Parts: sequence; structure tokens; C-alpha cells
Amino acid sequence: MNAIEVSGLAKKYGRFEALRGVDLSVGRGEVFGLVGPNGAGKTTLIKGLVGALRPSGGEVVVMGLNPLKDRAELRQRIGYMPQGPALYDDLSARSNVAFFGAAHRTENLKKRVDEVLRFTELSERAGNAVHTFSGGLKRRVSLACALVHQPEVIFLDEPTAAVDPQLRSRFWKTFRELANSGTTLFISTHLMDEAVLCDRIAILRKGSIIATDTPGNIIERGQTRLVVEREDTADEETIGGHPEDLAAALRPYGLEEEVTAVDVRTDTLEEVVLSLIEKDEVG
Amino acid sequence: MRRTFVIAGRVVRQLIRNPRLLVLSVAAPLVIVYFLKIFFDTLPPTFDVARYAVPVAAFVVHFLAFLLCAIALVQERTMGTMERMFINGFRRTEIIAGYVLGFLGLATFQAVAGLAEAIWLFDLDYDGDTLAMLFVVVWLLAIASVMLGIFISTFARHEGQVFPFVPLIILPSVFLSGLLVDVDELPTWADWLGHVFPLFWANDVIQDLIESGWKFDDIQSSLAVLASYSVVLLLLASRTLREVE
Repeated sequence: MNAIEVSGLAKKYGRFEALRGVDLSVGRGEVFGLVGPNGAGKTTLIKGLVGALRPSGGEVVVMGLNPLKDRAELRQRIGYMPQGPALYDDLSARSNVAFFGAAHRTENLKKRVDEVLRFTELSERAGNAVHTFSGGLKRRVSLACALVHQPEVIFLDEPTAAVDPQLRSRFWKTFRELANSGTTLFISTHLMDEAVLCDRIAILRKGSIIATDTPGNIIERGQTRLVVEREDTADEETIGGHPEDLAAALRPYGLEEEVTAVDVRTDTLEEVVLSLIEKDEVG
Repeated sequence: MRRTFVIAGRVVRQLIRNPRLLVLSVAAPLVIVYFLKIFFDTLPPTFDVARYAVPVAAFVVHFLAFLLCAIALVQERTMGTMERMFINGFRRTEIIAGYVLGFLGLATFQAVAGLAEAIWLFDLDYDGDTLAMLFVVVWLLAIASVMLGIFISTFARHEGQVFPFVPLIILPSVFLSGLLVDVDELPTWADWLGHVFPLFWANDVIQDLIESGWKFDDIQSSLAVLASYSVVLLLLASRTLREVE
């Protein structure tokens, strides 16, 4: 059984269609990335998955449960890290984590709070009020709140937005450790260097999924260009992405004396995603 | 029930750790009652201070308890912690009951402090039973104000949207609940409208209490109506607090 199954999920706000029949499935222990520009519907989709909004249509099943009908049971098994900090500024990091942990039947809560504060490297600042924290530290407290009850599925809405590269790298190390221990992660992001770290990604545009695949396979949908520079000219041609394609493309040149450089340029994930979005826009 | 106490404990910790809120909620009623004393001192000696002192002190407690609770709950929504509480499994009734319990201590303190200061400053002389009953009335009004704050907060998406309810609900109650003028002198429709506000019933009991020789039978019906406000507003709030968009 998959951790998440979504079919035909739609959400309308008046005439505005925030989600237009989203279909996707996420396996257990998978790091699944939801990629898309601002306003694509990423937060709406996550809210639909955690039972924070009532869909206009379609079906959602998370760990075999309906997020609305079975919300009491499901909410014990999922973790949620919203886009904003969503913390109590006047309280300490420890109090925040303990408060959200107490919502669940977490055994030995105090010990578990200590563990998760250590895991998110917050132990030294655990007693400080959250309002004294930097944006990055607040994100770590928010992550700790989402992890404290050891959920089986964690939904993270742009967890590394406005986070420095060093902390971002630490976050992703944490995500991978969680996935290795069997936790399913559903992460929304608009950063392609993060999306490439996911096991699979879905590209969301204007409330519709336009592609779902591994980052590697998505990159293969892009173009590889062979650029052959001579002393006074440069030839550029689009070739396939496989080594045999490169060999075939180079064969006619025979590496003549005047060939001074040969370069192979492959589209990045960002370029491929942008081109897929553009293609979808054109129709 | 356990999670209700978890929320109540968190609300209390937040109040204690927020000096500005504490000063506003505790010092403000005391300062306002003191200003009232200065104002009353300028009036002719024939002015019936006892008629107004305790009701105005009760109104100050009513207004601040309403405002603080409504804003605190709306802040939960704007900060995203309300949604996070729901997604973490806290239920509507637990959140509301937790807030009521959390603010109960504050409301009690406001009631005691406001009433004690009014009695001391205006040199009012009541027997023990009357003092106890006056405290019960102001306390019940404070609880109803907390409930009203919770209920109104469900209609506001940000703190600014709480303020239109002040001229809509709080200010009319000053004029129509018998606080300033006897309700019998109001037009019939205004008299009836005044009955909608919890301050009307609180003032009704207070006026009976400050007259010598009151009996419990005289006040019990108004006291019951005042107490029932809390229950009705609690039920309304638990219906309107939205868990799902």
C-alpha cells in the first residue's frame, strides 16, 4: 500500500480553481518533491493531504485513511511543517516542541523532546524564547515540532525557504536520514537544486500535475547540445542524452586540427522544468 | 481532557511570558478605575457614586477580557498556530475549553483587582455577602467576556477585524444596559435591545446588590441569565471555529 494516493483532487475558491484534478501516488519511505512556481497550488495540495481543507472533488488517502473522515486517527500518524514558522514566539523552543508533542500520545514525551531537539541541533538554545531566534533557527524549531511524535508521513511546505545554503544542506541530510528510517516525506519546493535530491518529483502548474518522475528521468526529457568550437566558428547541435548519441555526433568531426574545444551542454533540471511548464502553457 | 489542560497551560505560560499583555490586562483596569475616581471627584457631592462605581469597574473588566481573548485567538490564526494545532490533532472543543481555562485565571484576577480597587477608592461599604456576590457577578461577566472574545474571533481573519466589533457590541452595551441611565427611561425597543448584552444582566444584579436588604431570590434569575451567556457563547464558538477550510 502506498503512503499517499490522490485521484482527481480538485479545490475551487469561488470561480478560482486552485487544484484541477490532481493524481499522484507516493510510496512508503519515499522522498517526494512537489515542484512548481509560486501560486501553482503546492500549499493547497498539502492542506488537502493533511485534512486542513475540504476538497471540491476527488479522493485522498494517506496511510489508508481519509484525511477528513479519519482525521483523528490520521493526525496521530502525520507530521506537518507549514510554510511560516507557526510557533509561539513568547515560549521557548522546548515549550513549543513539548506543546505540539503533547497533542499526540507520545510516550515519555520529555525524553522524546530532548531527542528531537538534539536531532535538529537545538539543544543549546532549547530554553530560549523563540522570538530571540533567527529565521533559520525558527525553521529548525518548526521541523522539531513536526517530528516530535515520530510520524510515519511528514508534509513539509517549502521547508528551506529563506534558509542559508549550509542549513539547507543540513535539512536535506536530516530528510534523507528520516527516509532511510522508513518515514515518507512529501516536500514542496520551488528550488530545483533541492528537487534533484528527491526520489521522485511532481511538477505542479496552475493546479495540475504536468509531469511525475524521478529527477534523472525528468532531466533526460531535456536537450543535450554538442558545441564544437573551431578557430573562428562554433557549431551547435542538439543530440540525444546517451553516450552513444555523443559518439555518433562526434564521428563526422574526426577531431580535425582546427577543432579547439568540444563541449557537451545538458539542460539542468530547472531548464527542463521551465521548458515543460512553457510547453504546457502553449498547450 | 488532558489536551484541554495542555492548551490551558500553554495559554497561561504565554500570558506570564508576555509582560506587555500582562501590564495591559492587569494594570489597565486599575488605572482606568483610578481615572474614574478622579472624574467622579469633580462631580457635585449629591452625585450617587455607588450607582456607577462598581458597574463601570465591571464594564472595564468586561471590555478588556473580551478584547484580549479575541486578539489572542485571532493571533493564533494569523501566526498559523491555530491550523497547526488542528493538524496536530487538537480538537475544537479542546482549544476553546483550553482558552477558557487559560483566561479564567486572568479574568478572576481582573475581577478581584477591579472590584477591590473600586470599593477601596470610592470608599464603598458593603457586608461580606454583598461583596462576595458582587465578585461572583463581575467574575461571571468576565467569563462571558472571554467566551464573547472566542466567539467574535471566529469572524476575524486578522487582529484589525476584531476592532469593528467594539463599536458594534461593546459600546452599545454602555448606553443600553443601564450602566449610564436607567433602562426604563429608554425607548421600548432600545430597552429590549439592551437585554441582548451580558452587561445588562450584570448591571441588573449589581444595582440590586448595592441597594441594602437584597435577597438572593431578587437576583437569581438575572444571575442565571448571565451564567447562561457563557454556555450559549461557548456552544456558538464551538460551532463557528473552523477546523477545515
